[in-house]
Amino acid sequence: MSRQAESQRSKAERRRALLGSYQPLAGVHDELMDADGHVRPQWENLLDEWTNYGPDELARRLALANRHLSDAGVSYRVRAESALDDMLSGERSWPMSHLPLPIAEDEWRTIEAGVIQRASLLEAVLRDLYGPARLVAEGALPAAAVAGSPDFLRPLKGAAVPGGQHLQLYACDLGRGPDGNWWVLGDRTQAPSGAGYALENRLAMARAFPDLYRSMNVERLASFFQGFRAGIVSGAKRADPRICLLTPGPLSETYFEQAYLARYLGFLLVEGNDLVMRNDMVHVRTIAGLKRADVIWRRIDGDFADPLELNVASRLGVAGMLQAIRAENVVVANGPGSGVVESRALMSFLPTLCQTILGEDLRLPNVATWWCGQPRERATVLDRLGEMAIASAFRADLRGSSNGEPLLVSELDAAARKDLVHAIEARGIDFVGQEVVKISTMPVLDARGSLQARPFALRVYATATPDGWRVMPGGFCRTSDRLDARAVTMREGARSADVWVLSQKPVEQITLLPPPDQIQIRRVVGNLPSRVADNLFWLGRYLERAEGVLRLTRTLLGRMIETDIRMPGQQDAIKRLSGLLVAWGAAPGARTPLLRQAFTALHGADHYGSAAACIREVRRTASVTRERLSVDASRLIDDLTRRLERDTEQLPTEGEGYETADRALRALAAFAGLAEENMNRGAGWRFLEIGRRVERAVTTCRFARQFGEQNATPDCLDVLLDLIDSQITYRSRYLVGVAFHPVIDMVLFDEYNPRSVAFQIARIDAEVAALPTVREDGLMEAPRRISLKLSADVATARTDQVDRAYVLSVEQRLMGLSEAVANRYFLQTGADATVGKA
Amino acid sequence: MLYNIRHITTYSYNTAVPFARCVLRMFPREEPGQRVLSRQLVVTPRPSESREGICFFGNRVATLTIDQPHRALTVSVTSRVEVIHPALAGFDLSPSWEAVREEAAAGAGLEPESPVHYLYQSRLVPLDAGALAYAAQSFPPGRSMLVGARDLMGRIHHDFVYDPKATVVSTPLSQALENRRGVCQDFAHVMIAGLRGLGLPAAYVSGYLRTIPPPGQKRLEGADASHAWVSVWCGQALGWVGLDPTNDMLAGNDHVIVARGRDYADVSPLDGVIIGSGGQSIDVKVDVEPLG
Repeated sequence: MSRQAESQRSKAERRRALLGSYQPLAGVHDELMDADGHVRPQWENLLDEWTNYGPDELARRLALANRHLSDAGVSYRVRAESALDDMLSGERSWPMSHLPLPIAEDEWRTIEAGVIQRASLLEAVLRDLYGPARLVAEGALPAAAVAGSPDFLRPLKGAAVPGGQHLQLYACDLGRGPDGNWWVLGDRTQAPSGAGYALENRLAMARAFPDLYRSMNVERLASFFQGFRAGIVSGAKRADPRICLLTPGPLSETYFEQAYLARYLGFLLVEGNDLVMRNDMVHVRTIAGLKRADVIWRRIDGDFADPLELNVASRLGVAGMLQAIRAENVVVANGPGSGVVESRALMSFLPTLCQTILGEDLRLPNVATWWCGQPRERATVLDRLGEMAIASAFRADLRGSSNGEPLLVSELDAAARKDLVHAIEARGIDFVGQEVVKISTMPVLDARGSLQARPFALRVYATATPDGWRVMPGGFCRTSDRLDARAVTMREGARSADVWVLSQKPVEQITLLPPPDQIQIRRVVGNLPSRVADNLFWLGRYLERAEGVLRLTRTLLGRMIETDIRMPGQQDAIKRLSGLLVAWGAAPGARTPLLRQAFTALHGADHYGSAAACIREVRRTASVTRERLSVDASRLIDDLTRRLERDTEQLPTEGEGYETADRALRALAAFAGLAEENMNRGAGWRFLEIGRRVERAVTTCRFARQFGEQNATPDCLDVLLDLIDSQITYRSRYLVGVAFHPVIDMVLFDEYNPRSVAFQIARIDAEVAALPTVREDGLMEAPRRISLKLSADVATARTDQVDRAYVLSVEQRLMGLSEAVANRYFLQTGADATVGKA
Repeated sequence: MLYNIRHITTYSYNTAVPFARCVLRMFPREEPGQRVLSRQLVVTPRPSESREGICFFGNRVATLTIDQPHRALTVSVTSRVEVIHPALAGFDLSPSWEAVREEAAAGAGLEPESPVHYLYQSRLVPLDAGALAYAAQSFPPGRSMLVGARDLMGRIHHDFVYDPKATVVSTPLSQALENRRGVCQDFAHVMIAGLRGLGLPAAYVSGYLRTIPPPGQKRLEGADASHAWVSVWCGQALGWVGLDPTNDMLAGNDHVIVARGRDYADVSPLDGVIIGSGGQSIDVKVDVEPLG
């Protein structure tokens, strides 16, 4: 057999392996195969290419896609016991399925036209509802079907719509019915999520299958985001507007996506606390004072946007935002009240509203829906109850369901059904009945490498650009992990897949980059929000605090290994080491055996001063500044966390403990190296640096007080040199043994030693000097006054004036400096600002 | 009836507050049956920004910004109001409660008086099953809306104990219902929850009630308080009727209306966001002086 024939044969085998166990469900449409079991044409290229790859190559490509996601910080998971862990590890809710959903161009144009029509329709309904409400007055839409929505924000009735558009980004969930037509399952008008995941999936797939991606003429996504950006900017009043993405914060389910999109689109990621109102304008609190925010892309619910006029309990928005909107001083996208049109109650009226407003039929029908607030519709639902899904007309939870999901009446027992009938009869206005639709299936790759049919829903996005609506050619496809094709059982889906719109001709290459002549060169981007500065400062401090504890523990364990602790002369240094660990809250008290103390100092996360606890704080502060740290930095933090985790209470040997501390210190050194070599020298880096240096200077002062007294034993001075990593330098400079004056000079004043206190203070002063000032009188701000004086003092000090009191005073002045930095640059109203009810 | 009303609220903070932004809903409403002859607002310290407007529900709202450090905030509102309500017709014009329910759900308007806004659960009034069961006893099939609502009001007055220690602003409605104790705000919320559970529109009204001293005693200045009651929609023909479950009476010339809304959250007299770190205390003085 020829080589070619052999390759043909193995290709056929691979195809059999892939498709052999593929079974479309009865009575539903399948994307891959038609009713006769033939593969549909848009899949042929894809399968052909896939079966060209041997198992090894396919595995390599899939691994490449995974690596891309993990490099972007998307799917790397350490462990997840809580939402916080999920967030910290960047785990996303929908791992990627590696097979894209291909859609032929013709079919896509139908979807596109339908989505644009629906977006225009919903925009028109919003304009009417918050304006003259003619649709209601003329009877096209019952008032009660609007008033019941918690997203009908009454304070915005009659208010201006800065930018002129309620919906800047619209999404709808589609499913394909058994007849092959696409149906709208639901609308997303509040703050649609998933576009960032779609983009991320696309980048991963394009990297793994570049040749396939090109040869199949897959339409690009970049122009959609370009359009989104242009649309959101067009409403701003100033020429170079500041655009903020307002996030609910790191505990939000889709925080990763928000941080990712902010970075991709070049928006400033802010939380409610970062914003403040002045003169009916929204401002961002930055280290250089208040800076106006022109455009806010909100990812918080509209009701949370303004605690003064909306939900008074909200801590996510900014008090007065609605007034800024009324004064047309800020563009908020989507408009805070836009969620009102995503209710199921509204779906029942869209077919007629489309006729009333646009004079056309809906191009994409929505799932047949009956709002039970009307007598005739209520009767229809009650008559046909058994075949219906019953759902909240708005977004409340029905009894027996959660997350606003519908109830399948056929699955209720007689008692529950009776209760439901009773409830609908009493307050029909709260309910809709919906037809139970079956949606189509698409292939996903199972663990054995063969394809399985799974139901899916497709989220498609439209954005209002200055040239009209534009639809993202692609989308966010979510597949179910169950074999039930009824759309209502889809929930949020289990996996996601890229969506490929296959153009008939080669596609243009578009990136987010504007034409070269329009790019203004910038070296520093915007102003650093105070909250971010705060977190970076503390990130630096906790990193260095962890390092201090690790050094203490390593030295302690080293001494325990090397010395005979029964020798009286050796006892003192060890006692002092253990004493410092206890004083720092890293280890339990004096009677605890040394090995247990060392173990706790490394792994005892419940001791606030332990290395594990410090690294936990490192992770927390790093997670909220994620968009400013490199992926490698996040990885190092994950790595440190894993090193310091320990499930068993089993004590390690001294040697094992020593090694753990040593390796963790190496990871910290790598982090410092990354910050030094790879981080932009913007204000963010400066705060990280100041935090580190302050903490290191303080730690070193504490070491000096504990081990560097006038009458310290040589052994203690030796420990001190160990702790500041200066043994070799000392030995090379001084041929005699350790002695007080040379050691203490090296620890405190030697400006050539990068671990001395004087070195830290000189660096701090240089960085503080480079921070922005808001004083207009030319006088020095408080932090600089302190750092300059302190740096002059230690630079001119001599070892004969050093005693414990002197070292303590340096330490206290450093703490004072830290406070002054916090007061000046962090929340401008004081470091402990809280927001409360007046 | 002519009234002079003084309402003085003082917040004291343990540490200086550098910035505050508040909304005030303390001015009596202009509406049929009630005329505001004069009103005056004095705030110390002096606000850096101040704006007045009418909110969706037709209440007069003032928004204030104070950007100087302060340890105390005093808001003093003085109004002169004339209240003249015609007596309610001696015979009952309201249709059956079932008819009102259908009429309300079919309401074709989003204007503030439209019953549709008052049909659903709101921030502080969930659709509580207990409140529904309690209210349902007052609404046998076919009973007139107003008769049912008055019966419910009477039962709340009879069954509940007025007890200012039993609840605070944040106490959930279900607790006041279970313990059968609370203040005017709780009684109003319970009654609203019951009515809405039946599909009937009910609004929350805040304001003042003229207090009549016991015979032979002088009226005590500043001893009055804010009050709250319920407004019930009785069909297009009769419209909204005020019912005061705390006193088992129709709201009339002894009641001065400040604000209407879906529940207390819509009409809370003073809401705000301050930046500060310490605790706070509040002192409220209300004086409702009838001028005859």
